[in-house]
Amino acid sequence: MSFQRPTGARARRACAGWLVAFALGAAAVAFAAGPGYELLGHEAPDFALHAVSGGNVRLSEHRGEVVVLSFWGSRCPPCREQLAALDKSLATYRSAGLQVYGINVDDDQSRALDFAHGETVSFALLLDPEKNVSRSYQVDNLPMTVLLDRSGVVRYVTRDYNAKAQDLYRQQVRTLLNE
Amino acid sequence: MLYAVPHRLSFICKQSHAARSRSGPPAASWLRILPRAGLLSLALVVGGLCSTPVLAQGAAAAAAPGASTPSARTAQSPPPAAPAAAGTRGAPVTPGSAPAPAASGAAAPAGDAAPPAEAAAPDTRGLDEQVQGLKKDVVDLNRDLFVLEEELLYPANTQVAVFLSMDVGDFFALDSVQLKIDQKEVINYLYTPREVEALMKGGVHRLYVGNLKVGKHELVAFFSGKGPNDRAYKRGATLTFEKGIGAKYLELKINDRQRRLQPEFEIKDWE
Repeated sequence: MSFQRPTGARARRACAGWLVAFALGAAAVAFAAGPGYELLGHEAPDFALHAVSGGNVRLSEHRGEVVVLSFWGSRCPPCREQLAALDKSLATYRSAGLQVYGINVDDDQSRALDFAHGETVSFALLLDPEKNVSRSYQVDNLPMTVLLDRSGVVRYVTRDYNAKAQDLYRQQVRTLLNE
Repeated sequence: MLYAVPHRLSFICKQSHAARSRSGPPAASWLRILPRAGLLSLALVVGGLCSTPVLAQGAAAAAAPGASTPSARTAQSPPPAAPAAAGTRGAPVTPGSAPAPAASGAAAPAGDAAPPAEAAAPDTRGLDEQVQGLKKDVVDLNRDLFVLEEELLYPANTQVAVFLSMDVGDFFALDSVQLKIDQKEVINYLYTPREVEALMKGGVHRLYVGNLKVGKHELVAFFSGKGPNDRAYKRGATLTFEKGIGAKYLELKINDRQRRLQPEFEIKDWE
């Protein structure tokens, strides 16, 4: 019994088979990563939190606006980059009805305050020392971004930050703003 | 997509015609050499031709005044979804009734399809009225459910409700209120600037509603915020009240005491 190397049509068929298998695998992974978040398509849990700059913020007061909730921690370097990127987006789309909030999940509130005072973002940074909001939004990775549409429904979730994710995020924000 | 398919069909037809004229093979042989993609596109073409009357209907709907959006949606949607979209937007058109005009004349000009579209306009208005009526019913039902829920969850015999009101508020900027009944925290409410503004305009906020048994109870309220000179300010107020049979209403009042230039907190028992 000898192994013959596939040639011609057989090779093409084998190649096509591998490609289909790869595509199906990738689709399965993408599907598993996307709908894994239980809140997708559901109404976002309401909350009221203290802002670092003073005052309180209640989510339900922002019905009719596209809201971006970014969960961040002071020990997370990508969070700093993401907050800066979100600030740029807010400057561009604020007039179209975009609202951004950064929710801190640090145990040590003083560390969070130091981090927040070092940042020069134009949106409110909120403190969640008891982590009730983080729990209700099932935060399992930092930075994590949750996009809510104008009716307060969770539409998109991003669990990482990189340049590719940033492009995707902008596209998602535009989609929600155009609805 | 529907426009691309006939193009592909013409391409296939030309190709097959050219092949036949060159070598003249029988139909069975050129069918054999036709690639699978060609067969697939042939199937798509057949499907496209079958859905052509639906497109014609969409064009007729476009000719009707004020029906530009539905026709655009029909044109953009894929062929299987087109009858459904037409059925939902235009009342008289149903998936079952859609093929009837097509059977009478699939190649009929757009002018023939125009009269049904004109007839559909008043029905659309009727549909709008029906939708409005349904919305009103939903709102009424929601209100009734809310009242029923309140009556079931907080019966009048055991109900206790605590309200908060604010007068002027020059010496105190409210941030949060923590409420304890019988040494047990029942609510810790954060007030946003909008809510404080509403309170200062004379609004009353129902802070808490719950159930208590008949007897003596103690209510403690902690008010946090910024006091005179923008300093952090926290004050408490206590009231011991007797809960009898029937609902109990208590009001937390924040007033400005002009003589002492300080805020004043009191709890009022509404008999």
